[in-house]
Amino acid sequence: MRERKKFWADWGQSLSDITLVSDSLRAHPPSGAWFLRVRRRGYQRMLVIHTQFNLYYFWEKRWFFVAMAVGAFMLTLPLPEGLSRDAMIVLTMSVVATILFVTEPVPLPTVALLIVAGQILLLKIDSTTVARSLMTDSVLFIMGSLMLAVAIVKQKLDKRIAWLIVKVTGTKTANICFGISVVSGVLASFIGEHTVAAMMLPVGIILISLTSEDVSKVRGLAAVLLFSICYGCSVAGIGTPSGGARNAIMIGYWKEFFYDPTNPETHRFLIDYLKWMTYAYPMFLLQLPLVTVVLFFTFKPEYRDLTRPVARLRGQVRRDGPMKPGHWVTILFFILILISWIFLSEEIGMGTVAIIGAAAFLIAGLVKWEDLNSGVNWGVVLLYAAAISLGVQMKDTGAALWIAESFLRLLKPFGADHGIGLWISVSALTTGVTNTMSNGAAVAVLGPIVLKLAVAAGESPIVLGFVTAVSSAFAYLTVVGTPACTIVYASGYLKTTDFLNVGWRMVLVSVVVMLLAASVYWPLLGA
Amino acid sequence: MPLEPKPNGETEEVRAWRRKRFRILVCVNGTEESYQALRFAAEIGRSKECDIILAYVRPTDQGLRTGGLQIRVARENMLDWGLELPGVKYLRKGLELLVEAGHMEHEWDSIHTHTDVWGDPLGDNKIEYQHEDGKSIVLKLKTAPDIVSGILDQYELGPYNLMALGQPSRWQGEFRSFWDAGVAQKVAMLSPCSVLVARENSQAKGHLICTDGTERSLDSMKRAAVLAHHCKSPITLFTVSRDHESKQQAEETINNARSMLSELGIGVVAEKIGVGDPTEQICHAGEDFAMITVSDSGKSRLKRFLVGSVAFGVMGRAKTSVLNVR
Repeated sequence: MRERKKFWADWGQSLSDITLVSDSLRAHPPSGAWFLRVRRRGYQRMLVIHTQFNLYYFWEKRWFFVAMAVGAFMLTLPLPEGLSRDAMIVLTMSVVATILFVTEPVPLPTVALLIVAGQILLLKIDSTTVARSLMTDSVLFIMGSLMLAVAIVKQKLDKRIAWLIVKVTGTKTANICFGISVVSGVLASFIGEHTVAAMMLPVGIILISLTSEDVSKVRGLAAVLLFSICYGCSVAGIGTPSGGARNAIMIGYWKEFFYDPTNPETHRFLIDYLKWMTYAYPMFLLQLPLVTVVLFFTFKPEYRDLTRPVARLRGQVRRDGPMKPGHWVTILFFILILISWIFLSEEIGMGTVAIIGAAAFLIAGLVKWEDLNSGVNWGVVLLYAAAISLGVQMKDTGAALWIAESFLRLLKPFGADHGIGLWISVSALTTGVTNTMSNGAAVAVLGPIVLKLAVAAGESPIVLGFVTAVSSAFAYLTVVGTPACTIVYASGYLKTTDFLNVGWRMVLVSVVVMLLAASVYWPLLGA
Repeated sequence: MPLEPKPNGETEEVRAWRRKRFRILVCVNGTEESYQALRFAAEIGRSKECDIILAYVRPTDQGLRTGGLQIRVARENMLDWGLELPGVKYLRKGLELLVEAGHMEHEWDSIHTHTDVWGDPLGDNKIEYQHEDGKSIVLKLKTAPDIVSGILDQYELGPYNLMALGQPSRWQGEFRSFWDAGVAQKVAMLSPCSVLVARENSQAKGHLICTDGTERSLDSMKRAAVLAHHCKSPITLFTVSRDHESKQQAEETINNARSMLSELGIGVVAEKIGVGDPTEQICHAGEDFAMITVSDSGKSRLKRFLVGSVAFGVMGRAKTSVLNVR
């Protein structure tokens, strides 16, 4: 009763004077007095505390502290048998770097800076020596390729490419998807997947949106078109050394680990642009039609024919007028760079060709330095430089060999310590790692271990190196697996579960193709 | 309600002005259920004192994952092609829905606002349609590190009376929600104002307003009843007794609630009493209604974890839309 009285004291009103604003749902003050703020619960409380005391910082960076704690703990452990003090330090640095690569509590280039600092402070290596180890031909090549990619994207050739695709393929959905995969793939095999995915995304989206504005009516079509772009790019990344930084990293490792200028036997470990292509390009070509088959097997596009959207696309492209001189010069430069990579890289290095190419674009005025400066992620260059440098330390200190031997002992009971069993194990390990971190970082971390594993198991380092580099492209399962996946996902047409749905099939197909190449084709090339 | 023009000055002035309005924040994400939330908002927001803010929150682009040329290039390319981002499309559809519902029949002024957001080429974009009587409809494309913090940040920019969202894709138990809560659940947990979780239930009509007889619950019941009355929606009162012995107490609660509303001049079409587990009973009874209204108990997260919360249980398990009144 008392309750009721209080109620009417507050609510001594009738229907005539009640209003929605004052008598219906209340708008509570967003930032009231301090005690109100303190009363906020859970996450909201955390956000408020964050703004005032920044304690949230510790939560946000928790993985950084976990990684550091793991590192400190590992350094206090007694040395395992067969592992030197320096090797233990390098191993610890690799474990810490791996945790940071996967969880990303700090921007990734920070890991590179920490690796450099760790080498100087913990391993007591002279700073000039460390600095020198950061820049190799592979790093120069990664840097040059990223600059070339920006220069080419800036020319806005995407509409021409779209026009070319539909001109050749006609209007059947399956043909267009295959056309998109082929064009994305061939381009990505030379200039890197992220660039091509960014360039081709509008082509896919325009075809989808010209078909229907209602997203729910074109779910299947969107999936086949967009996955044709990203998987076309992904399978192509292995095709040539310039397809992805991971390839350049592996080439760098082969040279660093096995090449001895005084021993002609070791010359086979100098893998140049053409040699890589001979090994990997047929694999990519074999996978291309399989991408379309897998996609059409998984998704059922609602429209089998895209006559209407193609006609509208044609209209859009026509409005842009004929090709401009800049476009022709870009194509000429692109062809010249390719020819130089194939025929000159053995003599002057792939990195040199890439930076001369970038310089040519700047000299011709096709791209401004400001564009290159803002378009290239210099952090990536630094990251790979430091990762390669750490990889070399893993070899020099014997850490890589120790892990390789331990891993081999682990595989022995399953009979997977040689031949196809070992290939599958290495491939599974790389696929697992690459789906959780950038594929370049995966190869940088696993490369030294796998190459030493090959030596310890009496297998060909070239075959196992290729198995690692190629498997690092199998990041089909997650949105963040490869740049191409992240880019097409950003269009908003795909769900994360779509990647899992089609991804496992792609992994299966790719593994079979790779094992076929490893057991039949590569031995023919003398690997 | 004075229909004074909206001030253009300091934030505090704008906030004070906003507190005199009934403001509804509708978060759209392209799903049919999120448009259902908008339909509810359109129904409530017919009067001059209501503002409707449609928001789409887009996570900020990721950086290094894309290995050099970030998603930024893809976005810039898309804009070059004249393509709309998904968020823009969803907001436009939302606006069309409001136009269809007869919200924008007269002349409206529009104001475009852009706010730069570091690391994202598009930033925050807003179009505000203002009517001369002070009513406004806002379309907001917001960028935030994650969707939940974006929605909560939007609340900080100006208080709202109601936040409306579409059906959650997942709704976890209290324990699992520590690390795996969906957007709607997190917003429901953290929002300072009432939250509406909308679900498709086109056949159903009327509001089922639940009360357990406590002061807090009765206050929420009245506020929900004013809202239902404003929407001209029939009201059914509902309470649950744990067992048959305490049924008489439940009857008292219902009578008490009905007489409170009738003295306010708000009619009730029916009253119901369920016996058993409150969450189950409410969910079951609410299946035939367009909306279930529950009162937020104001329990802390720890308390909810230990003893559970009927309001949260109903929000997660009901087959129809649920309004959690705070």
